[in-house]
Amino acid sequence: MKRAILSCIHGNLEAFDAVLLDLERQGAEAIHCLGDLVGYGPYPNEVVERVRSLAIPTVQGCWDEDIVEGLNACECSYPSLLAERRGRLAHRWTDGVLTADNRAFLAQLPESLAVETAAGRLVFVHGSPSSAHEYLLAEMDAFMALERVLGAGADVLFCGHTHIPYARSLDGIQLRTVIAEAPDPQSIPGDAPPVDHTVTVPVRHLINAGSVGEPRHGRPHATYVLFDDESGAVELREVPYAVDKTCAAILERGLPMIFAWRLAKGLDYAERAEDASHVCAR
Amino acid sequence: MWAIASGIEGNLRAYEAVLADVPRRSRVVVTVDRLFVLGDVIGWGARSQGAMNDRLIERLVTPRPGELLPEVCLGLWEERCLSLYALGPEAGAADLVERWGAAAVEGLWRSVSRSAVEWMRSLDLAVVELDCLLAHGSAVGVEDCLTPQTPPWLWLDRLGRVQARRLFCGRSGLAFRYDLVEGRGDDRLRTLEGTRSRPMMLQGLWGVGVGTVGRIPGLATYCCYDPGRDRVTWHQVAYDDGPES
Repeated sequence: MKRAILSCIHGNLEAFDAVLLDLERQGAEAIHCLGDLVGYGPYPNEVVERVRSLAIPTVQGCWDEDIVEGLNACECSYPSLLAERRGRLAHRWTDGVLTADNRAFLAQLPESLAVETAAGRLVFVHGSPSSAHEYLLAEMDAFMALERVLGAGADVLFCGHTHIPYARSLDGIQLRTVIAEAPDPQSIPGDAPPVDHTVTVPVRHLINAGSVGEPRHGRPHATYVLFDDESGAVELREVPYAVDKTCAAILERGLPMIFAWRLAKGLDYAERAEDASHVCAR
Repeated sequence: MWAIASGIEGNLRAYEAVLADVPRRSRVVVTVDRLFVLGDVIGWGARSQGAMNDRLIERLVTPRPGELLPEVCLGLWEERCLSLYALGPEAGAADLVERWGAAAVEGLWRSVSRSAVEWMRSLDLAVVELDCLLAHGSAVGVEDCLTPQTPPWLWLDRLGRVQARRLFCGRSGLAFRYDLVEGRGDDRLRTLEGTRSRPMMLQGLWGVGVGTVGRIPGLATYCCYDPGRDRVTWHQVAYDDGPES
């Protein structure tokens, strides 16, 4: 089965509709969403209602969580004070327009989803298996990336949050350990011979779905991924859409002009995480 | 050389035994010049019931002439105690109530003075010194329990988070050395811009369980680490665990 994995729609209905059209043309038979349905974009209710009407299995993103529980003011979620100020603006606006029904929908979203397929166990999260706020950047340490996938019990781990798509495979992994432990509480290491062990890990995949509604790869086009759960083939899709319509709506609806400017450029603009290993204390 | 201990758990006699033993580890060419205590200074054992917690903290912060001033990290017991004072990450100590009962909650709360609580508030989660991480659990938190059974990729994550090559921890109370001798693999990354491949390699990382000072009646365990020679040794000290005279 060909599956489409989307993430970070951020209230951008134009981009979302363009992606839905594209994935249908590509023959996707299932859709999964990695959260962040709202935030920054001008159509939060419309996006949530579209997801609900299509019954798309969706995990809760950090923005969805913040809208439900209140803004997480921890600076760990923002790499700069400027980004934090803009985030607060977007949060306040979204909070003011989101309906109670849609808020309730976001509140009941799970932190992760999993599916068993021929390609193995697929796990879907927003940020990482342990936090919706953790960035799994493309160039994070390979062994740490491996731990995220194995820690989730996944063969393939899908994540979002960074807004830049990638497909990473970790293969041919062997880890050799020598462990010396005290054989009993009255002993110390060295009283018993150490144990030499090599573990082999079959190939694992970490796939980032990018962002539908707020891409940050340098172009304004929406991104998502297609995954064939029989062959394991991954396709990173880039979909042009009517960005100017979304920009116009941002201005009409009273959101800050900077959001429209940034969207038109496809830039992250001070939203890039500075530390790949950093996890929000919350 | 560093002396590294953990898990005193309110056992003042055990701690005194370690303090008396540490100077014996110094040699002509290398002396023990730092003492780290990786959390769980206080505790609530069935025997002690927290009776020595305040005295122990006082003993730590006011060493006698010639003794090292210990560098202390936050431990699980300290975090639980701070939670009782609404100063920790979560209110209350549900696991404490479940294990020891509500009386233990009040007892732990009463076993430390206000100044001791302020001292515990000042403790750091971990210390990073040279290429070593020293923590009760890990940089993730005090509850993180690393043992000889922990999978190697988890050890690699805990070391990688702070880019350390050595990790000393005390949460498990076990004494062990976990050598990540070598690791390899193939890392292939595809983005919208293209594909790159590179080998995964690691070598010579290790984690150490420093043992426990106060948990085993009559026997305290701690370790010494010589950063110059990158060598760790464990030491056990017997002490009188009988009733106070």
